[in-house]
Formats: sequence, C-alpha cells, structure tokens
Amino acid sequence: MWYKVVQIADWFGEMSERYKLVRDFNKAAKDSFINGQAATLLEAKITWGESSYRHAFSKFMGGGFRIKALSGRPMAKHELIEVGKVVVDNEPLVRKLVSLGWDTLEVHDNHGVSGCKWALKEHAHIGGFLK
Amino acid sequence: MKYILLQIKTDTTAVSALSNGVSLPNNFWFWLSIIELVIILFLVFKLSSKKKNLAFSDLNKDNLKKSKETDINMGNLMNSINNSSELYRELSRKCHPDRFVNSPNQKLAEEIFQEIARDKRNHEKLIALKERAIVELNITF
Repeated sequence: MWYKVVQIADWFGEMSERYKLVRDFNKAAKDSFINGQAATLLEAKITWGESSYRHAFSKFMGGGFRIKALSGRPMAKHELIEVGKVVVDNEPLVRKLVSLGWDTLEVHDNHGVSGCKWALKEHAHIGGFLK
Repeated sequence: MKYILLQIKTDTTAVSALSNGVSLPNNFWFWLSIIELVIILFLVFKLSSKKKNLAFSDLNKDNLKKSKETDINMGNLMNSINNSSELYRELSRKCHPDRFVNSPNQKLAEEIFQEIARDKRNHEKLIALKERAIVELNITF
C-alpha cells in the first residue's frame, strides 16, 4: 500500500520535474534572445515522440522533447543539426531527459513541419555508466 | 400436487417471458463489457511484453534517481547553442599544435587542442580552455 503511495508521489514529482526542465529551457532561451546573444528565439515543448525510439522509461504520449525556432532569423538545416548536437553532447542533460521519460529529441524550424530527430537512448550511455 | 406443478409451470413461463423482454439489452451490455475487457487485457499484455524488449529494461528506476536530480546549467546550454561553434573555431585555429612545432609548449598545445576538440560544444569549458591557453601558451585573443 505504502509502496503504491510512494509510486504515485514519485509520478507527480517526475511530472513537475519535466515541466520545470521545459520552463527553465524556455526561460534561458528567452533571456538569451532578449540579451541579443541568440538570433533566434527557441522554445521547448513536450510532444509524442518517435515510437521506434522508445525505451523502458518512456512516457506514454509524452516522449518527445521538441526544440522549435519561434521567431527571429530562420534557421538553416546545419544550424538545426548543430542545436541538436549541442543537446545530445551534453551527457548530464541527456541522462536527465531519459530518466524523466523523454526518448526523442526533435529540433524544428519555425517554417513547415520538417526537422531533425535524435534517439536519446543512443546518446545517454546509461548502462555503461552504471556498470 | 397438480396445483404445485401448475404453479411451477406458470413461474417458469413468467421468468422466460421476463428474460426474453428484459435481459436482451442486459446481454448486449454484458458482451460489450466483456469485449472491452478483452481489448484492455490485450493492450496491457502487449504493453508489458513490449517494455521487456525495450532499451534500459534491465535497469531499475531508482538507479536513475541521481540523473533526475542533476542540475542543468541552462545558461551554459544556450551559450553553447549560440556561441560555441565560433569560439571553437577561434580556439582551434589559435591553439593548433602546428603553430608550436619545435617549441617547449608543443606538448601542452597538443593537450589543450585535444580538450578543445572534445568539448567543442560546451561553451563553459571552452572559455576555461581559452583562459588556460592565454596563461600557459601566451596567446593573445
């Protein structure tokens, strides 16, 4: 019984942690856009994600972490790839994303629906890290 | 005895008449709920069997508690997204080991260059390496 209560409390804690991460990202992106460091305003949001990238901790209907260019200068494809690579190269961030239930990193431009996708499980190095 | 038999016969006919009239919709909802239950059980089974084949299925969730509590420096992440490629290009050009051939700093330059290549998308570390290059390799930026 208590185990179930702890599980429910964990679930709520995890959800709040997910939204906190997204909020922190959006705040930092907004600050850097306002300061003039970034030419494009980025926004993170939670999406469905790619089903083939799922792992054991994936959240149902919430496995995608999408970074979208909102306004400012449009981004070229190599810039989208660079944004994704910066996130994927940040190992603590990738591990945090995986442990909070994200499985797909998506980077999209503000025009159209095309973008880039990465499977987070390939960049987390979690098994090796723990062993 | 005759009355009792008659009574039983009338009771059964009344029950069958009742069941014919009333239990037909009941049967429909009953079978619908059975079908729903079967579908739910199938989905639960499929979900659980799928989870066993997924990546990290051998890990316990408690093992990842530390990763969950990691504090991420979002300011550094934004700087890395916006400025790290330029800084990396500048550093890799100025700290390239070929510029220090036959000098006492050649090994140090190689070491710093390797670190620059490893952390080329981490702005914070690139800034630290830049300061190290200024102090140890006497480079002006």
